[in-house]
Amino acid sequence: MELPIKLSEQSREPIYHQIEHQIKALIASGQLEAGTSLPSIRALSKDLEVSVITTRRAYQNLEYEGFIKTLQGKGTFVADINVSLKKEIKEDTVANALRKAIGTAYQHNYSKKKLNVYLINY
Amino acid sequence: MSYSIEVKDLQKTRDDFELGPFNLNIEPGLVTALVGSNGAGKSTLLKTIMNLVKPTSGDIRILGSYVNHTESWKQDIAYLPQNKLGHDPFNGMQLKELVSSLYPNWDEALFKRIVKDLDVNLKKNFKNLSPGGQQKLALALTIPRNAPIIILDEPTSHIDIVSKTILLDLLAEWMEDGERTLILATHQVEDIRKLADMVAIMKDGNLLAYKDKEALIETYTQYWMVDPLPTESLPGEVRRKGSKTVITNDETELEDYLSQHQLKWLNKETLNLENTISLMLTK
Repeated sequence: MELPIKLSEQSREPIYHQIEHQIKALIASGQLEAGTSLPSIRALSKDLEVSVITTRRAYQNLEYEGFIKTLQGKGTFVADINVSLKKEIKEDTVANALRKAIGTAYQHNYSKKKLNVYLINY
Repeated sequence: MSYSIEVKDLQKTRDDFELGPFNLNIEPGLVTALVGSNGAGKSTLLKTIMNLVKPTSGDIRILGSYVNHTESWKQDIAYLPQNKLGHDPFNGMQLKELVSSLYPNWDEALFKRIVKDLDVNLKKNFKNLSPGGQQKLALALTIPRNAPIIILDEPTSHIDIVSKTILLDLLAEWMEDGERTLILATHQVEDIRKLADMVAIMKDGNLLAYKDKEALIETYTQYWMVDPLPTESLPGEVRRKGSKTVITNDETELEDYLSQHQLKWLNKETLNLENTISLMLTK
C-alpha cells in the first residue's frame, strides 16, 4: 500500500523525522489501524524517493517507541497503541500545523485580530 | 562492517587519462548510482572492479576476495557492460542457454517474468534488435543470475517509459532481500531518485563524493536577496545568478555574513538532486 506521506526538502526538520511524524499522525488519527501492514523499507523508500538509510531510521524509531512492530519474515505492522498516547499525538499534530500557519500569517504581517477572524469563520 | 565491494587506493594511469587514486567501500543492502559526465571514468572503474582492466596500483575486493588473486567471486557478481561483445550473431533464446549454463543459481522463473513484463524479443538476432530491445534482452540475461551483487553500466538509456517503470520496480523488488548490492552507472535522474540510496559522483577520474541522497541535497543552498549583493565573493559562494541570487555550500557562514552586513533575503532553498549533481560536476 502507498502511504499518504508528503515530504518537504526545504523543511528544517530532517527527512527521517518527517516520515516518522507523519506515520505517527496517520496512526493517531486512525487512518492506519492496529495490525495494518506497512510497506517494506525498500518499497517506501522508492515511493518517497529517499534512501533506505533514511526510511530504516524512521522505522527503527517508530518501532522503538512502540508504534510499529516487525515480525521476522512477515513484514512490518501498525502496533496497538493506547488511547492517551493517540490523543497526545493528535494534539501535537494539530498544534504543529497551527503553529506553522500562525508563523506564516505573522510573516505576512497579519494581526492577531485578523487571524481570529479566520478561526471564527472557518 | 563487511563490505560487498572495497576499492582501496585505486589508481589507473593511461596515456591520456588518470583514474584515482581513491577509496570506495560499498555496503550490502544499498543501491549506488554512479554518476558523472561522459569520460569521467565510470566505466573504467566498473571494469577495474570486474578485473577487466588492471589497476596501476591499489586493490579491489569483492565479498572479501581480491579480484586479481581468485576466480570464485565471479559467481557472486552479475555485470552488464555497455558494449555487449559477441552477442550479435545469436538470438535471445540461444544467449539465455549460454548464460544460464554459466550461472548455477540461474532463476528461470525470474527470466520468464522479465521477458514477459518487458516484452523482450527472444527470436531476433541480437544485432537486429533496436538499442532499447538490446538493453531489455541484456537485462533479462543479467538479473536472473541470482548473484548477490549486480553491476549495470547505463542499463536504461534507450528503454521506453513504461518498461523503465517496470524495470525500476523489479530492481527495487530484487533489493528487498536486504543483503544484495546494486551499482548502476546512469545519466537518468529518475533512476537516482527512485532507486538509489547512495550517489557516487565522478569527475575527470576522481571521486568527488559518495553520499546518501539526503546528505547530498544538503550540499548547496540558494538565497534570493532583497537588494543587490556586494561584488566581493561571499562565504561558501559557489555560484551567482544575477545580482540578487547566490548559491553557497556554507549556510551558517553566509548567514552570519549577511546579518553582519544587514542584508535581507526573501527566500532560501536547498538545490534539488539534479541541480546539486550538475553544480558539483560543473563548478
